[in-house]
Order: sequence, then C-alpha cells, then structure tokens
Amino acid sequence: MTMSELLERWLGRATKGLSSDSRLQVWAEIRAHYESACEDALAAGASEADLDRAAVASLGDAAAANREYRKVLLTSAEAALLRETRCGVWSGSRRWLWLLPTLILIAAVRFFATGDAYFGWTMLTGAAGFTLLFSAFKLPVFTPNRGRIFRALRWLWLAAILALTMKGSWLMLITSAWPLFWVEWKLSSLRRKLPVSRWPKQLYL
Amino acid sequence: MNLRGTLPTLILEALEQEPKHGYRIAQRIKERSRGVLDFKEGTLYPALHKLENDGLVESYEETENGRQRRYYRISRVGRAALAKDRDEWRTVSRAVTLILERG
Repeated sequence: MTMSELLERWLGRATKGLSSDSRLQVWAEIRAHYESACEDALAAGASEADLDRAAVASLGDAAAANREYRKVLLTSAEAALLRETRCGVWSGSRRWLWLLPTLILIAAVRFFATGDAYFGWTMLTGAAGFTLLFSAFKLPVFTPNRGRIFRALRWLWLAAILALTMKGSWLMLITSAWPLFWVEWKLSSLRRKLPVSRWPKQLYL
Repeated sequence: MNLRGTLPTLILEALEQEPKHGYRIAQRIKERSRGVLDFKEGTLYPALHKLENDGLVESYEETENGRQRRYYRISRVGRAALAKDRDEWRTVSRAVTLILERG
C-alpha cells in the first residue's frame, strides 16, 4: 500500500522539529497503523475513496500529536546536544587533558608554599574538580542513583569553585554559570525522555 | 468522550492479557468501551512511548502478515501500576456514584 499525500502531510506536521531517528520511528509506526486501518475498513466494505480520508482523520490533529511527540521523543536540538555531549572533551581518551589538573595542582602547592592560602585552596579545589570530571568515565557511576550522586558532587564542586573565584558576587556567579544550568536542564529533559536502558554514558554524568 | 489522563491506564489494561501493536490497542479500547471511549489515534503512540520510557511497557519488533510491527507488552512494574490505578478508579467511581445518584 502506498502512502497517501494526505498521510504524508499529516506525518510532516506531526514530526516537525523531531530528530531524524524520532521522525523515522513515528513514520514507521503511523504508517503501519494507517495500513491496518485501511485493511480493516476495506474488509468492512468501505469504499476506496473514503479509506484514506477516514484513516487520516482517525489520527486526529497533527499539531496536537506533534506537541505530544515532543514531550516523549528527542527533538533535533536535543539529539544535537546529545551528540555534542557524546564527544565531550573530558571523555578520558585524551591523556593530554590531565596536564590541566596537574598544572593547577602544582600552582596550588606553590601558592601554599608562598603562604597564599586563599589561592592555594582555590587551585586545589579546581584540581580536585577537574580530576573528578576527567576520571568520570572510569568511575562506577553508571546507574541512575550513582549518577545522581556524581552530578550532585559535580555541582557542589562548581559552586565551590565559582564562589572562591568570584568572591561571593552572586551576579557574577549567576552570569557565568547560566550556560551550565541551561545545558543541565536540557540533559535532565533527555533523562526523562529516554528509558534508562537507552541512556548513553554521558547522561549519567 | 474525553480520555484525558486515563489513556495510559486503558493502554495498560489492553496489554494485560497479551502483547499487541498500536492499532490493536486502539481497537481493543474502542471495542471494550462499546465505542463510548473514542480517541484520536495519533495520541496513542506518544502515550505508548511515555509508558515505555517509564518502564511500564516494553516493546519489540515482530512480523505480522509480512510486515514489521512494533509490539508492546506490559512489564511487571506496569502490572503493579495497573492494579493501583484500578483500585483508585473503583474508589473514585464509587464516591462519584454516591454523589450523583443520591435521592
């Protein structure tokens, strides 16, 4: 059975803004649904002329379906974010990244040695956080609960480092941290949408 | 009749006996309600995806009449959720009947 123009238009509207994988999934399931509906209607003696219109009408408003699909399937923006997170620079596969916490740690030791405890603690907190981030992929954090604990620790570290470097300026804190909040908010939306069995490692972190 | 909020429970009920694909689920709900609960079938699949994301149903591919179909089956968690929904519905339904049919 070929796909009608009416159904194609319905699917185009219902899948607007969804990722290519989500779009393919919706097209496959709605097409199979449409074919079953047409077969049943034919068996019940419906005329071919009315089949298509009735089958598509039974699907309802495409815009309403699109709103519902966006709540449960990945949009193209979310799929892009997931791809970017997937090739995150702190994946642990780039050993040269370890230079960063090492250099910060050396700086911390130097500050402590010269008696500057404030910068010493700031650098030490920074080195600890980067070590946590870069070793994340080797830590046993890939269950939903352990992932939550890891993320809480990461936010605590971030809050500590921002508080130390901004010296308590809340305006500066919020201004510099909002992109991180935005990304975390988008990732939490992904965590809600995808079943845990389909979470990539990045969603635990 | 508006199904808002009750569609997930009706889907779980439709899957209680055996796995089904989306179209059969929609048919089952309409038949069992004798046509009273008619809904737009385009909203069925987002509800199924939500149930799957929440771990209440599981899906798998199977061929029917030479065509690849996605079947859904209720999970153990889904059965527990259905039993809870049934109890709640009975309580609410009894209470509303008491109010509306008084006198």
